[in-house]
Amino acid sequence: MSGIDTVKIIVGAEKEAVKILEDAQSEATAVRKQLDLKIQQQRDEILRAAEKRAEEFLQRAEEEGKTEAENYEKTSEVTVRDLVTKASSKKNAAVEKLVGIVLEGKA
Amino acid sequence: MMSATSKFMADILTVAKEKAHSIIADAETEVQKTLEDAKAHLSKEAEDVARNAQAEAEGVKRRHMSEARRRVKLKEQQEKSKILQEVLERTRERVMDMRKDESKYLPYLVGLVENGIRELDIENVTIHLNQEDLKRINRAKLEGEVSKKLDKPAKIEWAKEPLDTSGGVTVSSSDGKTRIVGTIDQTFEALESRMLIEAGKVLFGN
Repeated sequence: MSGIDTVKIIVGAEKEAVKILEDAQSEATAVRKQLDLKIQQQRDEILRAAEKRAEEFLQRAEEEGKTEAENYEKTSEVTVRDLVTKASSKKNAAVEKLVGIVLEGKA
Repeated sequence: MMSATSKFMADILTVAKEKAHSIIADAETEVQKTLEDAKAHLSKEAEDVARNAQAEAEGVKRRHMSEARRRVKLKEQQEKSKILQEVLERTRERVMDMRKDESKYLPYLVGLVENGIRELDIENVTIHLNQEDLKRINRAKLEGEVSKKLDKPAKIEWAKEPLDTSGGVTVSSSDGKTRIVGTIDQTFEALESRMLIEAGKVLFGN
C-alpha cells in the first residue's frame, strides 16, 4: 500500500468518526428537545392525580359533614323537644308570675 | 493479522463511537436528572394541593355543622318564642278576665289611682276610664277605697270622655297637662320586655 493510500484510508476513517460524532450530537439534541414535553407530561400526570385525590377527599368531607350535621340535628331535636316539654309544664307558673307583674304595674 | 493502518483506522472509529456513546449518555443522564428534579418540585406542589384540599375539607365539615347549629338554634328560638307568646296571651286573657270580677278589678283600679295620685303629688285629680268601666264601676266605692289608702279624702273628678282602651285608668291633673297612664294596654306595652325576661326565667331557667 502506498503512502497516499494510507493517508486516504486515515482521512476516510476520520470523516466517518466526525459523522459518528455529529450523529451523536444530533441524537443528544433530540433527547434534550424532548425534555420540556416530558416535564409537561409528568406535571400533568402528577397534578391530575393530586387534584383527583383532592376532589375525592372533598367529596368525602362533604358527605361526612352532611352526615355529622344530620346526626347533630337529630340529637338536638330531642333536646329541643325536652325543652318544650319542660317549658310547657311551667306555663301556668309563668302566667301567674306575669299576672303578678301586670297587677303590680311597675316596668 | 491487521495492518498498522487498519488498526489505526479501527482505533479512530472506536474512540469516535465511545465519544458518541458518551455524548448520548450524558444527554440522557442530564434529561433524567432534570426530570427527577422537576418531579421532586411537583411532588411539593401535589402536597400543597392535598394540604389545601384538607383545609377546604375541614371548612366544608365546619360549614355543615355551623349551618346545622344555626338551624337548631333557630328552631329552638321559634319554639321558645311560641311558648312565650302563648304565655303572654294567656296572661292578657287572665287580666282581661279579672276585669269581669269586680272583687279583683276594683282593688286593681284602686291601686292604680292611688299610685297615680302619689306620683302626681297633687290634691285634685281627674280619673279616666273606658266606656264599660265608666258605666259599671262603683265610683263612690273606688273613691272611698282610694281615700283609705291615701289616709285622706281623695279629690277625684271623673272624666266624661271615655278612654279607648281595654281597661285600667289614666290619672291626670285637672288641667290634663300631667298624666299617669295606667291602662291595661299601656301596661302590657311598657312591661313587655320585663315580662318576656321574667317568663323566660320561669320557663327556661334551670
